[in-house]
Amino acid sequence: MKRIILSIAAMMCITLGMAQNAKMPDNINLKSLDGKTVQSSVIQNYGGVVILSFWATWCKPCNTELDAIKEVYEDWQEETGVKLVAISIDDSRSAARVKPWVDGKDWPYEVYLDQNKDLARAMNVGADVPYTFIINAEGEIVWQHKGYQPGSEEELFEQVKAALK
Amino acid sequence: MLAALTMAGGASVMAQGLLGGQVTGNIQLDGQISRRDTVIGSEDVPQKLLSNARADILYTNGNFSAGLRYEGYLGPMLGFRPDYEGQGIANYFVSYKTQNFAVTAGHFYEQFGNGMTLRAYEDRYLGIDNALRGIDVMYRPFRGIILKGVIGQQRYFWESRGLVRGVDAEVSLNELVAAWNEGKTRVTLGGSFVSKYEDNSEVILADVSGFKLNLPRNVATSAVRLDLAHGGFGLQAEYAHKSQDPNDLNDYIYREGDVLWLSASYSKKGLSANIQAKRVDNMGFRSVRTEAYKEMLYINYTPAISKQHTYAFLSMYPYATQSMGEMGVQGDFMYKFKKETLLGGKYGTDIHLNASLIKGLDTTRIGGRGTDGYTSTFFGTGDTYYGDVSVEVSKKLSSKVKFAATYGYVVFNPIIEGHAGDIHHNHVVVGDLTWKINKKNSIRFEAEWMGSDSKYDAAVDDKRCGDWIMGLVEYNFTSAWFVSVSDQYAYKDGVGNYYNVSMGYTKGATRLQVGYGKQREGIICIGGVCRNVPASNGLTFSLTTSF
Amino acid sequence: MAIVACAMVMVSCDKIEEDNYLIFSGAAGQWFDGEGVADHSQRAIIEKYTGVRCINCPDADQIITAAVAQYNGSLIAVSIHDSSVFTRPYGSDADLRCADGDIWSHYFGVFDAGQYPSAIINRTKVGSNWDLFTPTSGVNERVDNIINGDADVAVAVAAELQNDAIDITVNLEMLQQVNDELTLTLLLMEDGIVTIQANHEGKDSNYVQNHVLRDVITDVWGADVDCNGAAGQKRVARFSYTTFREDWNLEKSHIVAVIGKKGTREILNVAECEID
Repeated sequence: MKRIILSIAAMMCITLGMAQNAKMPDNINLKSLDGKTVQSSVIQNYGGVVILSFWATWCKPCNTELDAIKEVYEDWQEETGVKLVAISIDDSRSAARVKPWVDGKDWPYEVYLDQNKDLARAMNVGADVPYTFIINAEGEIVWQHKGYQPGSEEELFEQVKAALK
Repeated sequence: MLAALTMAGGASVMAQGLLGGQVTGNIQLDGQISRRDTVIGSEDVPQKLLSNARADILYTNGNFSAGLRYEGYLGPMLGFRPDYEGQGIANYFVSYKTQNFAVTAGHFYEQFGNGMTLRAYEDRYLGIDNALRGIDVMYRPFRGIILKGVIGQQRYFWESRGLVRGVDAEVSLNELVAAWNEGKTRVTLGGSFVSKYEDNSEVILADVSGFKLNLPRNVATSAVRLDLAHGGFGLQAEYAHKSQDPNDLNDYIYREGDVLWLSASYSKKGLSANIQAKRVDNMGFRSVRTEAYKEMLYINYTPAISKQHTYAFLSMYPYATQSMGEMGVQGDFMYKFKKETLLGGKYGTDIHLNASLIKGLDTTRIGGRGTDGYTSTFFGTGDTYYGDVSVEVSKKLSSKVKFAATYGYVVFNPIIEGHAGDIHHNHVVVGDLTWKINKKNSIRFEAEWMGSDSKYDAAVDDKRCGDWIMGLVEYNFTSAWFVSVSDQYAYKDGVGNYYNVSMGYTKGATRLQVGYGKQREGIICIGGVCRNVPASNGLTFSLTTSF
Repeated sequence: MAIVACAMVMVSCDKIEEDNYLIFSGAAGQWFDGEGVADHSQRAIIEKYTGVRCINCPDADQIITAAVAQYNGSLIAVSIHDSSVFTRPYGSDADLRCADGDIWSHYFGVFDAGQYPSAIINRTKVGSNWDLFTPTSGVNERVDNIINGDADVAVAVAAELQNDAIDITVNLEMLQQVNDELTLTLLLMEDGIVTIQANHEGKDSNYVQNHVLRDVITDVWGADVDCNGAAGQKRVARFSYTTFREDWNLEKSHIVAVIGKKGTREILNVAECEID
């Protein structure tokens, strides 16, 4: 076991110095709201910027954030062509509620389920949501943010605009 | 096997060039200084400072990834099992994933269906980590069919225990049958089978003296599930069955277990309704039959169906599935009154109704250890365990002010926490107002009231009893800082005054939070699992970051 | 993957039948708290000393067989073939002698008196002497004397042949306080053994010998019962018996459990069962 850890650590050390913008993983399985298993490579905006937002039905600030962005989403899309993809980390206690929840909230977002938190783990989201990423056209993570405070969507939008450049 | 895979993985890394990969990770450090307080019941901590730390490091190179996690509990924080004491590499894996094939060797997390046969998951705040250490394989022979297989041992603090084997298959008919590809009706079927092996040489005495139990070495759960959607309608169902499994949870009876879970929903723009029903009977499934620690070594997971409330007084009596037996229904209704209507006003109004009722099973006792235990009727119910009704109305009053009002009624039977006593009936009212002062500053007020028929009794020492009020003010400034002050006070028939001051700073993926005050002793539930947290009085801090 | 699926079904789960939920885990003869005995009746045991060369013995057999039938379970009979001159088998006939029975024969004075048949019921005394009698008469009044009284202790026995062992379970329940230590003696006896038997006409070469004592499973004077003698006590013990001979017919055999007083050797109660 020691040898395994050492070899993994060695690989990491070699590459750590080379770190640049991390790519968003494209090989993680997610579920679409109609029950299909899809790979995370479906999350893209064909040359545009993606806001990737991890959330859960039971998370108040997540809902506040997604509600707040909804108010301005049309304007954002018009100005930047950005697309928001919401990843629910609800477990089986509330996963069946996600689709009705999204409809009831009338959210215009693309939503996927990450019940086993595979994508959340692969993207180092940790245990807390909301957690928001901005992915540029090359699929690189250019900005990430933990938590939501009223008004922080403004900064998010600034970062979207920055990612376009 | 592990070594071979590592080498294979290593070789593939070599092939792609060592410099092509990327390293990411996240670090979390939580700490606590607690002092004695006789009213809330907190104790002095001999080490003075308790801390939990972890760092996940992830290396990715194309389809290959590897990771390891450091964990350190140098004085585990209050509420964590002392067995966590220590530090080291708690989790490591290598994995190779493509669209049609994935294999992970080392520690992995996995879930079959709704988790009723297998759910290896982690909840760091509850001290739960039942990661499997072994091999996890996913294979998609063709579009629409996904097969999974796992074999491994479960994490138990700093070691691995038990032996779990499982397979799962899921078929998406719409993807499989070309003609149904674009069909409006979507059908997904699944089935899973999980078996655990355990030596049966240990002596567990039966109720009949002079006898020990003849323990099964292999115990299996199997399940079938259905996911059906047609436009806005959705139906999900799963049925799982468990073979004879005398264990600590069911007090070593031979009765077989089962669970049936149903969820039906309808939704359209601005409206959604969801009804769930569940019947659980003797479904606790763990890889070590004698394990008595509440949250350790569970192989499966039975979701609770009551709503996870977030306001303090509504979640004061959280509900966790009684895997030994319960029956419940839950309904959830959301409606959005449109803008410019009578009830919608200028900005629209959201209304959210929720109700649940959970009861015990109607059982007839046969005997104790070494018998079938009891019989039950399918539709019969016993004691009421839990019930709640809540109405939440949220409304934007102006472009700057948002208001939410919630009323809730909670019925709670202390028997589910293992002690007898009168059922508590609580009324809760919450007002929640957010005022966005400008782009970078906002202030939030929260007021809660709880009226209860329960009275504090020193003999039972349930510190939740009585009538309570709570106030909270939270000020966010420069979108990076926040300060909050809150107080919970028992003004009638109760004891305690829980004040708290917190502040935090967030920049990108980094967040630092420091709090000072009193933490109520009680059950904290996250992700559907609940844990007893002891009272604490003092300073807490938390630092998290990702890179 | 298909292979994996098949393998999973093979390992699947162990189904344990209800009869096998429990495994005896104590030592043989170890006493535990038991569930009590439903049948509180007082029974009697007649120990008859006999021999194949004893011409009066078939008369006693006839009387005792009738009495056993008449008392319908309340009287249990044992035929003890000791080492007297009457017990030597004819020619190559089956040897019914039992060394354990010989110890009793000497102790109760049957062997020295040389009177066959002789019997004793529940090892009672008349004055200071053992109440030995010739069981061609006087059986019924002795049995009535015993079974009309209330039992001090109730006893039940069950036996099952498992592989190469007879598992014997003895339950007892104290109904009255007994001021002596108790012993349990387990007997194996066999019915339907055909031998030559002397009688008044000479010899019967097809005589059926019943309830022949084959072996004393416990110590000949019994195993100690771990019980304080107080009324209400319910105790159970299990024994495993493996040293039976292959030529014994277990299908026609019975197990008899005898509860006696250790000090006086009087018998308090008795129970009998077949071997399942």
